[in-house]
Amino acid sequence: MGLRRCCCMLAIVLAYGLWLVPPETALAQQGKPAVAGSLPSTNLSNDVSTDPSLPRPAPGFANARVAGNPLAPEAKSVGMKTCIACHQLEADHFTHTLHALGLIAANKADPAIPVCEACHGPGSEHAKNPQAKGLIIAYTKDGGTPIDVQTRTCLTCHAGGPRDHWLGSVHQRNGLSCSDCHNPMAKFSVEGSMAKQSINDTCAQCHKDIRLQFNRRSHMPLPEGQMSCDDCHNPHGSLSSGSSLTSFPLAKTNTVNETCYQCHAEKRGPFLFEHAPVRESCLNCHTPHGSNQNTLLVAPVPFLCQQCHTQQRHPNDLQTANSLMTGKNPDERIMGRGCLTCHANIHGSNAPAGPRFHE
Amino acid sequence: MTRSLIRFLPLACVLCAASAHADTGIGVDTWRADKLDPTGGMASQACDADGTSWLAPLQRRSPTGNLYNCAPESPRTYELGDWIYYGLIEGGYLGASGDRVALWNRYADWRRNNLVLGLLQVNLERPSDGSYVDVRASRISADDQLYQSVFGRAGAYKVQAFVRDMPNILSTDAKSIWNGVGTNNLTLPASLVPGASTPAQVAAVSAGAPLTTLGVKRSKQGLGVSTYLTPEWTAYVNLSDEERKGTRPYGGPFFFAFAFEGPPFFMQDGGVNETIKPIRDSTININGGLRYAGSQWRFDFSYSGSFYRDKYTAYDYQSPFKLSPLPVIPGAISAPLYQGQMSMEPDNDYHNLQATATRKIAWNGEISFSAAGGRMSQNDSLIPPINCQGVFGIGIGNLQVGPQNPLLYDCSKWNTTDALSQKTADMRIDTTMLDARIRLNPVSQLSLRGSVKFDRQDYRNVYLLYNPLTGQYGYPSENGTQGSIVPGEAGIFDPLTSPSALTRVRSLPLDIQTIDANAGADWRFSEKNTLGATFDFNRYEPTNRERTQIDASSFKLTWVNRSIDWLTLRVNYTYLNQTGNTYNFDPYDFTFSSSLPGYVPPAAGTPSHTVDAMRKYDMSSRDENKIDVMATFMPRDDMTLSASVRGDWNSYDAQIGRQAYDTAGATLQWDWQIAVQSTLGAYIAWDRSRLGLSNVQDQQNGAGVDPALGGANYALIGQWWANDAQRDWYAGLTFNHKFDRVRFDLNWNYLYSRGLTDYSYAGPTALAHLVGNEGPGPGNGAFPSMVYRVNSITAGVTVPVNERVALRLFDYYERGRINDWHYAGFGQGLVAGNRVYTDAGPQGYNANLIGLFVNVKL
Repeated sequence: MGLRRCCCMLAIVLAYGLWLVPPETALAQQGKPAVAGSLPSTNLSNDVSTDPSLPRPAPGFANARVAGNPLAPEAKSVGMKTCIACHQLEADHFTHTLHALGLIAANKADPAIPVCEACHGPGSEHAKNPQAKGLIIAYTKDGGTPIDVQTRTCLTCHAGGPRDHWLGSVHQRNGLSCSDCHNPMAKFSVEGSMAKQSINDTCAQCHKDIRLQFNRRSHMPLPEGQMSCDDCHNPHGSLSSGSSLTSFPLAKTNTVNETCYQCHAEKRGPFLFEHAPVRESCLNCHTPHGSNQNTLLVAPVPFLCQQCHTQQRHPNDLQTANSLMTGKNPDERIMGRGCLTCHANIHGSNAPAGPRFHE
Repeated sequence: MTRSLIRFLPLACVLCAASAHADTGIGVDTWRADKLDPTGGMASQACDADGTSWLAPLQRRSPTGNLYNCAPESPRTYELGDWIYYGLIEGGYLGASGDRVALWNRYADWRRNNLVLGLLQVNLERPSDGSYVDVRASRISADDQLYQSVFGRAGAYKVQAFVRDMPNILSTDAKSIWNGVGTNNLTLPASLVPGASTPAQVAAVSAGAPLTTLGVKRSKQGLGVSTYLTPEWTAYVNLSDEERKGTRPYGGPFFFAFAFEGPPFFMQDGGVNETIKPIRDSTININGGLRYAGSQWRFDFSYSGSFYRDKYTAYDYQSPFKLSPLPVIPGAISAPLYQGQMSMEPDNDYHNLQATATRKIAWNGEISFSAAGGRMSQNDSLIPPINCQGVFGIGIGNLQVGPQNPLLYDCSKWNTTDALSQKTADMRIDTTMLDARIRLNPVSQLSLRGSVKFDRQDYRNVYLLYNPLTGQYGYPSENGTQGSIVPGEAGIFDPLTSPSALTRVRSLPLDIQTIDANAGADWRFSEKNTLGATFDFNRYEPTNRERTQIDASSFKLTWVNRSIDWLTLRVNYTYLNQTGNTYNFDPYDFTFSSSLPGYVPPAAGTPSHTVDAMRKYDMSSRDENKIDVMATFMPRDDMTLSASVRGDWNSYDAQIGRQAYDTAGATLQWDWQIAVQSTLGAYIAWDRSRLGLSNVQDQQNGAGVDPALGGANYALIGQWWANDAQRDWYAGLTFNHKFDRVRFDLNWNYLYSRGLTDYSYAGPTALAHLVGNEGPGPGNGAFPSMVYRVNSITAGVTVPVNERVALRLFDYYERGRINDWHYAGFGQGLVAGNRVYTDAGPQGYNANLIGLFVNVKL
């Protein structure tokens, strides 16, 4: 039955693809010179004449102006057409990005709003001497533009909000540029104008070791594409120094636990009976990026628990392989879930008879 | 209307009218995809054969030196009025074969052969005003699917909606002896008598039970709006609702089984039940805010709220095992207990308001102030202390409650909420955060920074374990079973009848206060060399913990070097010293009955709670050295070699407790852009961790009064040490190439993890069980290696049929091997004495997935 449905579906999709008459082609099929010709030019005279039939520029682009380039103080704006004369292919790729959509529409409504030069600065000196580094604001390794000029240019429009604490952040201090992670020149990712195909791939450029930890036995669903590094971290900087027991680097919230509660709200409590290290930080017992233990645990139970629990009677016994199901003295304290078989509500218990997390 | 239809309403609204908000500053849901394509659709995009630029043949590099990806082919677009649109649909058949176990299907529902929608992507753009609509969908199964839609105008507003289902398969080899799996009432089948079955009878039922899959499905829907109010002011609101439904293995204690099987009792007693917890809950998350970004000032006002609701307050389960009293009192009879309860997580509410103001100041600087206040609270109805009928405890000669039976308790005095000091939880934590920070650039080569942050969690309210019906303190321990097996250990303190009972009588409020201050400077001492230094001081002040003040001071050095054309180097080194005030090894006495008036210490004295030498690792003094080196080499224009080395060494000042925790690792990744449409990449990596701890077994059977390490109770002969060493080796290869018209892709990933836990002990009394081969002196040993090895390979070809249609055929083979000693022997049966397990543990697998997809550009 399943195979028959499959064949029918494939046939339908194939028939559609093979025989349906293509609709009228549009912008990207007009040929690259035609595309270039259709793009607006920047009004160099600052003599603004707005077509009243066009909507006003979107607020996010209304204040966009030619970026300042300290390495080319004499440069003048040349307009997008001039840029495209050489960078035709780049313009073609740029067409379907959110930046292009917004800037081009804004430029049509207000020719004083630049397109290319909003980010790359005035192009006249670069046009005269294209090989000279630094005459245009470049976002590449060998473009000649200092990192702080690159980031400052982006922050002209993107200041505030998630990037409020970029200055002083660990990424800023380590000399990262916005364009280490973002590349708005083409649609390299479905969201976020990322430099790689996803947020996770982008972070893995430098943090490959962390990304590989997600391949371990227990992990959060990051390799499966169900979440991203940005769900827990704000790579643009945060209020977290990462040096306290309750914080971690570039934390998206004020504490470790607050970050975890975003998806694990059931752990928030507060419970009638609390487990002190749990309330303090989930990272006391869990390693967030992947573990070869079950459930992201830092170490195998019962040894994980026995780092702290040496109370009299059963918690402080040394278990050996003899306590496994295959041993001479099977012992529930180490078999299966180990300690958690009895202390199941280890994250906190709301049972009036649950001080030891049994209920 | 069913919930499944209701959850699509936000999406429908967006489609008709206009994703939740993806914001690195607040909330989750920043990415939605599935394992078929974790990039959310980019894997099917072909590179533009013309490259990225007419001016340069290859890709440019990011400022760090990584090669940018090839630019995707520009889409074929069509006109629809003043809109243009483009898109694609990819669907086909996914055939799964081999072992369909939890490790293979953990977050991807590949359990059945299926027609799937790989990707539907439709984009509409209106160039005249920058409006756009993006629709994206993928469906592997009803448990693994996503649909999202975004509508907006670039630079003006954005409305997003999504619906997503995600599986989380936990076990595929579970066997339940209970009926009612997934509900809050687990009952035994007719072939077992609750509280009166033998292990053999339970084993027979377990062996005959069908294999059950345990897992939790997360179903989430969200709606988000963000808009510019003016060029400076923006506003946003995001709302999501997530439902979790399923089952997971959990606990069910009816007191120890291990304690009775060996000498001196040689009996089967107690009951260890690995029950199945029902998961039926939902969470609504809301966040919203206003942001202002002007030339001098920036403001950020935000609200976050979360509302968690659980369908169940608790679940009940029947235990099959018979309880017997310890043979220390003639004529003793155990109460016939057979039913236990497990509380669920309480419904909870959370609110948080935060405001940040930032001002540009002299020296190209900024000064920023943030304040936040929040509250997390729950007032769930409490369950009774016990759910038994009749009696619990031990009777002498009979089970009649009365003065003649001081160890026997009437269930009716404990099995209603009238037996509680309060009927709802009424627990609350208030949070406060204040932060101030400054950054200055007095000259272009120098930047200075400093910050102070204050964080506080105020724990409100305390729960008292007091039964107004009996006037007694404490609680029936382990569903009443402890006191039904061990005379005098019911967990109930009565100043008249059990004045020496040591039991918990109060909850533990845990206030936390943190002050963090740091100052640092970065100096660009040459055009492409920067040195940075940061000093950080952190004071952590918890209440009711072993220390009330812990100070951590750290010094960090950073060096960034770009002076060599073919290299970017980043080096970070941190030294941290943590210390604190006097370590109180037993701060919890106030929560025990020993703190109540009327408490009478036993003749030998009140047993110590723990050993004085224990240093819990979060509270312990420690030294940490951490180094992190990242290097990006550019040996040729078309190659990148990335290398990293990390190490983190922690030494703890602890005789008992964690003594060391060291991690180290190295990675090497090579990427080669062979041609515009050809790439080759490979990586190898290695990491290790070592955790060392020590503990000590008490020698006086729980009655020791002396807490001193080396004393009579915690004698050094009982000390032991354990080391857990983990090693991981990784390797992988990626190859993409276009042969004429056919695209070929190959991906191989390998992981070999090996964990070894070994131990040594000062004397055999450290051991949980003496098996007869131990000498009088020290010994050592190790557990079997814990191994997890995965080898996976994916190979695919994409063949264009015409300009719009392509066929994709791929095969994904994965082989996984796992050995977790916790589950050694579980394959032979899930019952051992008075213990019944449900989950047989993780399974190795050989699995294959073959896909035949048609990709049609719309």
